Amino acid sequence: MKLSFVFSGSGGQGIMSAGITLAQAAIDMGKHATYLPEYGPEQRGGSAKCTVVISDEPIISPLPKFCDNLIVMNEQAYAKFGEDVKPGGILLANACRITETNAPEGVTVISAPVDDLALEVGNAKTANIILIGILIGATEVVSEEAFKESLEVKFKAKKPEILAMNLNALQKGIAIGKQYKK
Amino acid sequence: MGEKRFMKGNEAIAEAAVRGGCRFFAGYPITPQNEIPEYLSWRLPEVGGVYVQGESEIASVNMVYGAAAMGTRSLTSSSGPGISLKAEGISYLAAAALPAVIVNISRGGPGLGSIQPAQSDYLQATKALGHGGFHAMVFAPNSAQEAVDVLYNAWDYAERDRNPVLVLMDGCLGNIMEEVELPPMKELKEEDIPEWSLSRRNGRDWQGNITPIYTELILEGLNESAGFMYKDWEENDVQVEEFMLDDAEYVVVAYGIASRVAKEAILNLRAQGYKVGMIRPITLFPFPKKSIRNLDYGKVKGIIDIEMTIPAQMREDIELQVLERCPVYEYGRSGGVLLDDEGVYEAIYEIVSGGENNG
Amino acid sequence: MAEYKRSTLIADSPSGYCPGCLHSLATRLVSDVIEELGQGDNSLNVISVGCSALNILYWGGDFLSVAHGRAPAAATGVKRTNPERLVFAYQGDGDLAAIGLAEIMSAANRGENFTVIFANNQTYGMTGGQMAPTTLIGQKTTTTVYGRDPATTGYPMKMCELISTLEAPAYVARFALNSPKGVRDARAGIKKAFQLQMQGKGFTFVELLTNCPTNWHMTPLQTLDYMNTNTIPYFKPGVYKDTEVDKA
Repeated sequence: MKLSFVFSGSGGQGIMSAGITLAQAAIDMGKHATYLPEYGPEQRGGSAKCTVVISDEPIISPLPKFCDNLIVMNEQAYAKFGEDVKPGGILLANACRITETNAPEGVTVISAPVDDLALEVGNAKTANIILIGILIGATEVVSEEAFKESLEVKFKAKKPEILAMNLNALQKGIAIGKQYKK
Repeated sequence: MGEKRFMKGNEAIAEAAVRGGCRFFAGYPITPQNEIPEYLSWRLPEVGGVYVQGESEIASVNMVYGAAAMGTRSLTSSSGPGISLKAEGISYLAAAALPAVIVNISRGGPGLGSIQPAQSDYLQATKALGHGGFHAMVFAPNSAQEAVDVLYNAWDYAERDRNPVLVLMDGCLGNIMEEVELPPMKELKEEDIPEWSLSRRNGRDWQGNITPIYTELILEGLNESAGFMYKDWEENDVQVEEFMLDDAEYVVVAYGIASRVAKEAILNLRAQGYKVGMIRPITLFPFPKKSIRNLDYGKVKGIIDIEMTIPAQMREDIELQVLERCPVYEYGRSGGVLLDDEGVYEAIYEIVSGGENNG
Repeated sequence: MAEYKRSTLIADSPSGYCPGCLHSLATRLVSDVIEELGQGDNSLNVISVGCSALNILYWGGDFLSVAHGRAPAAATGVKRTNPERLVFAYQGDGDLAAIGLAEIMSAANRGENFTVIFANNQTYGMTGGQMAPTTLIGQKTTTTVYGRDPATTGYPMKMCELISTLEAPAYVARFALNSPKGVRDARAGIKKAFQLQMQGKGFTFVELLTNCPTNWHMTPLQTLDYMNTNTIPYFKPGVYKDTEVDKA
């Protein structure tokens, strides 16, 4: 199985960290992965995009234009990349910033209030984990259990509340994603 | 077995350099290569090496000149605009017969261009890295892993030839994260410090000097030797990947990131029954002339040069080997706009499916 | 009476310097001090571009010849990787104060533990006497044929004064080589700079006011007088920074 993901939005929305975390989790599970970030020149608040390819086989090209899973976190990203998702793929839109989506035919739209959910969980920074949760729920690209383990490793040194908050974010995401599981 | 890590290309390069014996780095910040100096700023001191942030690209390459003269394996890195500034120093390295490694993580050009990736420095790398008509071996890896392998061995070539080595990659390969297997640390001893160097740690007890200036007859002799060295590279040091050439009717020529996008397209076209293959130069200088010259032009109907720059810069080197035995086509994106799977597939498809008028 | 003999760090070949040029004397002072300190084999001369590059022809110790203006950068690479060596760069005024201004100021600011000997003769000698950043106001050169005009070319750059504003340098001093006293002081200053380097004290800078009979279009003796009446009043000899003394 080979799946491609494009995460897009603006700097500070957790785009890059969502991409790296997902790719790293896939690697940890013995899969192959590439992560390619694309930045604007600004250090803060500029456009942010990253492409992640995950596969059971070694990856040849890390540069798909059309992806299986497009994650758009704001209107600008949606306007720019909204068409770049393959038929049969998923368009995951941050409902807090993107009010209307006209997905290409055959594309499943998941419109989730990612920003609000993150605040509900307790920290805007958990948006990236919510995104990954949704993707895990909908695609099973990496296993739920293994990803939980990787979070436990990642937050081992921090306060237990931080791990709990991230696990909570993951669960919220997975619950949404599962509704779209084919 | 080496050590597997999920690493950013730039950091993999830096770590591979350290493991390949690099103990001196000087550089100046420029996107998209900043992770190389950032990594080495803490990593080199860990292994007894030296990191210096130069006041400019010019100063940095001259710091490398000084360290290389002492027989220390030395590195500098930059992107196109900075490589232009280093041109002076690279020419002096060649003149003084000093081994050093220069990494160019290239971006859109000319001028300040863009900070996004592009393969816009092929001509600079292969034809004129500086004044005076010299060449460096130019390696163009196409993955973080291959970059690791190239960097690990780069000083072996540089010291063998007493000549700088250039590693040309684009911002995609610098910033991509993928799995790499890291080789073990090369342990270099003081007595291995080259005899020609100005170091006295290797026991040298006679007066030594290194200079980039000569009297005319000596310089002519050195120019001739350089010419023989370049010929020798062509005979012995060409590295090339030939992919699905046996029955190929169309042959893509692509290096670096473009070769990966092209390979994906070729596999998809093969699945549709189109006989497409690829020649991927790993060394851009020496250029794999024979691979292109010796194709069976009874069978090959076209060569397709795919580069992430417009106009294609490798085209003339290709044409000199094709010698009008078939058309040469080119496709690219430029200015920091990336090649992508679908675009490259469409471009090749249009040519191989009978669009003979694309030349 | 001390025996006058050739320094072992000066090769047995003719100097390429013009008759009466103080570069020869400056080189001689440097080599004598290195010998006196027993650092002959341990020393490394980073040779710059300009008349200073003629050192290539007759410097008898280890040397590295480098690009125009870049000696402090190259010396950084040398000294950082081989801190046990006695490293010095020998630079002229065009090399150091024009094309190499970034390199000298930055090396000084980093407190690199090597010594720069700066020969200031207020002109580009090797290329035929063009205006240097140190050319005096009114001084005629091939590119200021009516004399240097500050309205379009600014003022002669005072490197000791500039460098001594930096925090890191350990020793910054200027000497004039046109008198026996000046020569004796210069020798002591060079020795002090090298000693401080050997003690790991950081960047040391010795400016030597020299002449250029050929391009000043004067006899050697006339240049010495000209230095007294014109050069020295503007480029005042003295110790501009000495962290050892400043601390005391």
